[in-house]
Amino acid sequence: MLASWPFLNSRGFEQQGVDTLKVRDAKDVEDAVQAAIASEQPLEIIGNGSKRLIGQPMATNALLDLSSLNAVTSYEPNELIITVQAGAPVADVQSLIDSRNQQFAFEPIDTAPLLGTANQATIGGMIGAGLAGPRRIKAGGARDHLLGAHGVSGFGDSFKAGGRVVKNVTGYDLCKLLAGSWGTLAVMTEVTLKVMPRPESERTLVLRGLDDASANRTMTAALGSPFDVSGAAHVPGSVFHVAATELGDLGSPGEAVTLLRLEGILASVVHRAAALGKLLAPFGAAQVLEDAASATVWSSVRDVVPFAANGALGAWPVWRIVCPPASGGALGERLARDSGGEVIYDWGGGLIWAALPPRPDAQVALVRQRVNAVGGHATLVRGSDELRRNVDVFHPQPAGLAALSERVRQSFDPKNILNRGRMSRNSAT
Amino acid sequence: MSYHQPPMVVVLPDTTEQVSQVLKYCFEQGIKVVPRGSGTSLSGGALPLADAVLLGLGKFKRIREIDFDNRVVVTEPGVTNLAISEAVAHAGYYYAPDPSSQIACSIGGNVAENSGGVHCLKYGMTTNNVLGCEIVLITGEIIRVGGKSAEASGYDLMGIITGSEGLLGVITEVTVRILQKPETARAVMVGFAQVEAAGECVARIIGAGIIPGGMEMMDKPAIHAAEAFVHAGYPLDVEALLIIELDGPGVEVDELIRRVEAIAKGCGSTTVQISASEAERNLFWAGRKAAFPAVGRISPDYLCMDGTIPRGKLPEALARIRDLSAKYDLRVANVFHAGDGNLHPLILFDANKTDEMQRAEAFGADILRVCVELGGVLTGEHGVGIEKRDLMPEMFSDIDLNQQQRLKCAFDAQGLLNPGKVFPTLHRCAELGRMHVHAGKLAFPELPRF
Repeated sequence: MLASWPFLNSRGFEQQGVDTLKVRDAKDVEDAVQAAIASEQPLEIIGNGSKRLIGQPMATNALLDLSSLNAVTSYEPNELIITVQAGAPVADVQSLIDSRNQQFAFEPIDTAPLLGTANQATIGGMIGAGLAGPRRIKAGGARDHLLGAHGVSGFGDSFKAGGRVVKNVTGYDLCKLLAGSWGTLAVMTEVTLKVMPRPESERTLVLRGLDDASANRTMTAALGSPFDVSGAAHVPGSVFHVAATELGDLGSPGEAVTLLRLEGILASVVHRAAALGKLLAPFGAAQVLEDAASATVWSSVRDVVPFAANGALGAWPVWRIVCPPASGGALGERLARDSGGEVIYDWGGGLIWAALPPRPDAQVALVRQRVNAVGGHATLVRGSDELRRNVDVFHPQPAGLAALSERVRQSFDPKNILNRGRMSRNSAT
Repeated sequence: MSYHQPPMVVVLPDTTEQVSQVLKYCFEQGIKVVPRGSGTSLSGGALPLADAVLLGLGKFKRIREIDFDNRVVVTEPGVTNLAISEAVAHAGYYYAPDPSSQIACSIGGNVAENSGGVHCLKYGMTTNNVLGCEIVLITGEIIRVGGKSAEASGYDLMGIITGSEGLLGVITEVTVRILQKPETARAVMVGFAQVEAAGECVARIIGAGIIPGGMEMMDKPAIHAAEAFVHAGYPLDVEALLIIELDGPGVEVDELIRRVEAIAKGCGSTTVQISASEAERNLFWAGRKAAFPAVGRISPDYLCMDGTIPRGKLPEALARIRDLSAKYDLRVANVFHAGDGNLHPLILFDANKTDEMQRAEAFGADILRVCVELGGVLTGEHGVGIEKRDLMPEMFSDIDLNQQQRLKCAFDAQGLLNPGKVFPTLHRCAELGRMHVHAGKLAFPELPRF
């Protein structure tokens, strides 16, 4: 394989194994992509490879490894921004901003428990996957926190998108496209992200024993209140029985729990917890979790720990369903019943994690039919290679939208060099 | 800067199907099209062209659905920004982005321009508050993007359509998310003897982890103009005035006001007033919201600029603007969305005097260059339009601009939609699609490059 990359060898590239190109700087990335274009060899782009198991299996010949691009370029807490290279580990960056009482408000998911990988996620993957946690309902997603990016397109061009300020409408907002594009548009080398103050305290109201439909109505009532709910999740009782799992400091409640999170200054969360408890009294009495106990529960919800790869449902394929929040309860309940699977609700019902009993097709037809009926979409986030080869991992789009998306992809990567085939089975060749 | 241009012909469709037919016809005949909502753009984004169809969306003024359970409103694009908030106010909801022109500007135009407003510091711009749209491509093809879900499948096309200034398609329906109004809101008005102290106060508030609902700053000329116009009770002996709004539950607002007051005093504030009633809060805002017309009273003409800089550079930016004011011999009044570093310098001039307009435009362009030099951008919320089109190379390289134009090609390969806006030079899509440069480089891999 070395012979395929003579240009890179001439620059003294570190080539690990037969087909891993470990880049040292943004220039290396440009050279690697240009060489890949010239030799028509598609590249798989990785940081630490923590999310390699998500997406269609790719038709790529070489790995472009960005893990050495791991520097924090600048961090300006008073400007609420951090500029960091794509290969920097998310955990390191999070502990840096945590030391200044700041956080990524979109609460990025750590997919390691779900996928059963030990690899540490990187910033580039965090943005490329764009998987936001429970606070998305209040703070937005990864796309709302990406202010600027430098990257190399499939033309082999180094380009920049956005800027380093929070308010910017200069030109097309290319950052929105890069977030959640799974590395299929450009190789991001450096990103500027918005950081936000970490709330001083938090409270979680826990209601017990609600069925999915009632829980959905409870969450809708909470999210329709002025109490600024920053997390609304529901874990049905059967999850605890079937998955034999625990949920942070709640342990295994043995019955369904509906969770509503409030964050802010102490006086405010205490006031709102009382007011929200009163509002929700018709749905049941609420127990209140404080600060650390609350945080532990939400990190389990965020990372879908009940469906963890090392748990009882570890072998079950997992779907991530996004739908109109008020439709979530009915959708999830029927899907679980008809598939024999288990579901967990987040985003007030707008996000459903569904673990379905293993079948060769992951019950794709059933999932997609139910999800289409409410105007949602479903992504297979955990499944074997074979399964991911046989089903559309990402939700198929109507023809016009799919064609437009493909033209957009081509406008960044006409030769289909970057993560070829990851988002669409049709573009794998 | 006068943006006057009669269009070739105006078309006012009633339905998406008609929009589709008009665009399809124009596409087949190679006729340019300029989409237009209320026409309130401050950058000439909806300016007609002499050889283009002006496609007015004024008849699309029906709210199609209010869905409180999913906290969204589905609306036609000609509905005004404020009308959305008014339609859901009875249930305690509102639509967060609040551009100053909200009484007149249309939601379709807001999406096209990614409009901001005073409260976007805490609640985001249009792009953070829209979930989906129906868009008609120049070919006449009708595409639905997103919907009532928090995010759509595949690439975030909604994100790219928002702020695309009418170059990618014609929006015929928008789904926006609505929020519950905060329980209370109060404003603090703080005066400073030095602009630097006001800038420091902004930085320290943010640094203390407080994200106010709004944080606005005015300099002395702006304060005086506004006070003379609306009598808001602004102190006239200060160099800078901050209006800081805190919203949320009463206990939270009270606590944050205490913290903000302490920070302001620590920065050497000379006056601090806290609104004691809703009427007083509105009065504090009245002067700021009327700043543009107030300046209009003290000058025959003015030019409103819209750059963004890192917050910490506020004092430096102001000093540079002062120097430029002396250089061009034109007065300037400054109002800022200080919380997010968005400057609105108002350059005062008289178009009837020889060369004043040219000087004002050159002054404005220099201010935007300063913004970019200080690490900021050309426009924070008004858009590029035709006004800042020729300044784009100050911020973007040819390669950056080519990538943006390639995206345009994915939507409108013939460049028929809103041509002449945003980009200083237009390239043919076929030209942008080539990779000849790299092929040339790779022919000589052994050559060192520097």
